[in-house]
Amino acid sequence: MTQIELRNIQKFFGPNQVMKDVNLKITDNEFIVLLGPSGCGKTTTLRAIAGLETIDEGDILIDGKAVQHLKCSDRDIAMVFQSFSLYPHMNVFENIAFPLRATRMSKGDVDRSVREIAQVLRITDLLDRKPSALSGGDMQRVAIGRALVRQPKAMLMDEPIGALDAKLREDMRAEIKRLHLKQGSTTIYVTHDQIEAMSLADRIVIMNDGLIQQDDTPAEVYAHPANLFVARFVGSPVMNIIDAGVAMNGTGAKVTLKGADEGFSFPAELVGKLDAAKGKAGQLALGVRSEGVIVSREKQDGYLPVEAHIIEPLGAYDIVDLKIGDEMLRARTRTGFVPAPGERVYARIDPSQAHFFDTASGNSLGIRL
Amino acid sequence: MAAVQTTSERVLNRVAIVAVLVVTLIFLAPIYWIASTAFKPRNLATTIPPTVVFTPEISPFVKLMVRRSQMREQPSAEEYAAAPWWEQMVMDGGEKVVRDGKGEVQLSGYPNRFMNSLIVAITSTVLAVGMGTFTAYGFSRFKVKGEADLLFFILSTRMLPPVVVAIPMFLMYRAVGLNDTHWGLIILYTAFNLSFSVWLMKGFMDEIPKEYEEAALVDGYTRMQAFFKIVLPEAATGIAATAVFCFITAWNEYAFALIMTNRRAQTAPPFIPSQVGSGLPDWTVIAAGTLLFLLPVAIFTFLLRNHLLRGVTFGAIRK
Repeated sequence: MTQIELRNIQKFFGPNQVMKDVNLKITDNEFIVLLGPSGCGKTTTLRAIAGLETIDEGDILIDGKAVQHLKCSDRDIAMVFQSFSLYPHMNVFENIAFPLRATRMSKGDVDRSVREIAQVLRITDLLDRKPSALSGGDMQRVAIGRALVRQPKAMLMDEPIGALDAKLREDMRAEIKRLHLKQGSTTIYVTHDQIEAMSLADRIVIMNDGLIQQDDTPAEVYAHPANLFVARFVGSPVMNIIDAGVAMNGTGAKVTLKGADEGFSFPAELVGKLDAAKGKAGQLALGVRSEGVIVSREKQDGYLPVEAHIIEPLGAYDIVDLKIGDEMLRARTRTGFVPAPGERVYARIDPSQAHFFDTASGNSLGIRL
Repeated sequence: MAAVQTTSERVLNRVAIVAVLVVTLIFLAPIYWIASTAFKPRNLATTIPPTVVFTPEISPFVKLMVRRSQMREQPSAEEYAAAPWWEQMVMDGGEKVVRDGKGEVQLSGYPNRFMNSLIVAITSTVLAVGMGTFTAYGFSRFKVKGEADLLFFILSTRMLPPVVVAIPMFLMYRAVGLNDTHWGLIILYTAFNLSFSVWLMKGFMDEIPKEYEEAALVDGYTRMQAFFKIVLPEAATGIAATAVFCFITAWNEYAFALIMTNRRAQTAPPFIPSQVGSGLPDWTVIAAGTLLFLLPVAIFTFLLRNHLLRGVTFGAIRK
């Protein structure tokens, strides 16, 4: 039963503020992913919770108790590092037993605990090996075993699978998920890989420049990014974000992308919602993911003519760059749907997948159609 | 690693192997000379051309260890028969073993000097490497104000040839009573080696990932425990390499030992050559002393050879 709370945390490295008023509440058994580009403050946040980094202001509470003045050894938190940090001079058994030896547990209990956790992680036959004789995946299993063995209040993971190759990363991702479901410990996981974040997290906390940008479930972060940063950071391919103008046109609204002659049709309620959200024309950006751009080979009502520029065949689907006005719109199509670059096709935007952002502040206007 | 080789490369390879063997032989020749002389009878030590084939004997080592004096007259047959085998060896050379009033055998100066060398070299090595390891850890892991300047200052103590300060050191030592004491030499050698030890160990410490200690800290250990349980074992290679270099420096040091000590704390290096000066030198005894003097460094280096090899290349391929 562990809850972690960060309250108004400020942290400076010299003149640089790396954590700006960070507030975060993590409930028991939750799997939180801190996601952001390098240098965004996510690792510093993690290290501050572990006690490896001091904070300049604010409170870190574990189960309601302020711990920011406690040493790491007194916080009862385990951490898995990107570099695995297995002690090279100890074999796997000793590595996993190391945290238990700090607690003066009896020899028999240490032995039993280590073997139990080794069984869960399926590394029982590796216990006598030195870390240098292990594969990357096994090293990470041992590192996780060392973190889990003393049943800490919470588990912190700093890009634990970042150093593995792509295939192994996928396997380990599934394994971490399996372990979390089985052991159910409060976990904070740091990564810059949005796919890892989406697949593992109960809740994603996106950070940039020391600030929390959005704190929500993976589905919500993907479907309703809070601002331009989140919109650009989450999702692959990157969301199309293009400056746009909105005007009433007869019974509906028209959204015209920068430099385009014609606009896409949107429901009339868009205008009212924009007015309510105080979104000013000229300071507006339309965001739409590639799957929200619908492509047709024939001219249909509401579709605009566009020219295909680059086609990226990705096997399961194609990503096609469509030139409209001055901008490119990336669409996701069936494989081979657009046969060749230079082809003239027709596109429309699915209003229910469209996002509107205030370009001045970068914030989403929160309009859902 | 078995890359394809052309015939000319193979020939070149052979030539290189022969060249290495020749160089090795040249380097080993003086050691062979000393070793063979140490086991020669005295009359064969200085023959021209040198004697290569001879019956080895250990009389030079016996003579090295005991105090001897010239015999005025030959010992009687009974005296000779009554003497133990090692004393007979001394008598064979026309000398007798000096005994004190109680009839106890008097040792020569060598065993004492050898012990002094061991005491001074081992203690100063332990001190220099120990202090160097802690200092290097501090510099490597914590933000130290003026780190670069301090490190340069530590290094700068090596920039002056040590002998330049011999006279002032001698006067200072005399004033505080450190002349001809073990501690005097230990302090001196520790001071010489410390800068070297700090710099070498800093390189090794920097190579040990910080995450190891951080993992130990999170695992419930204090920094001190993390240092002893994690950092020290990881630094073993560096410590071994540094210790060998410090030990060799302290063991071989000649100039200060000559100036600062004369009897009580004198080490072997100034003692061995002093034996040349008295009368007709017995080269076999000097060779025996030199050979024994070579052994500790050889043994020490041999024991640490795995660490040393790793340690030397470790530093060489640093990013």
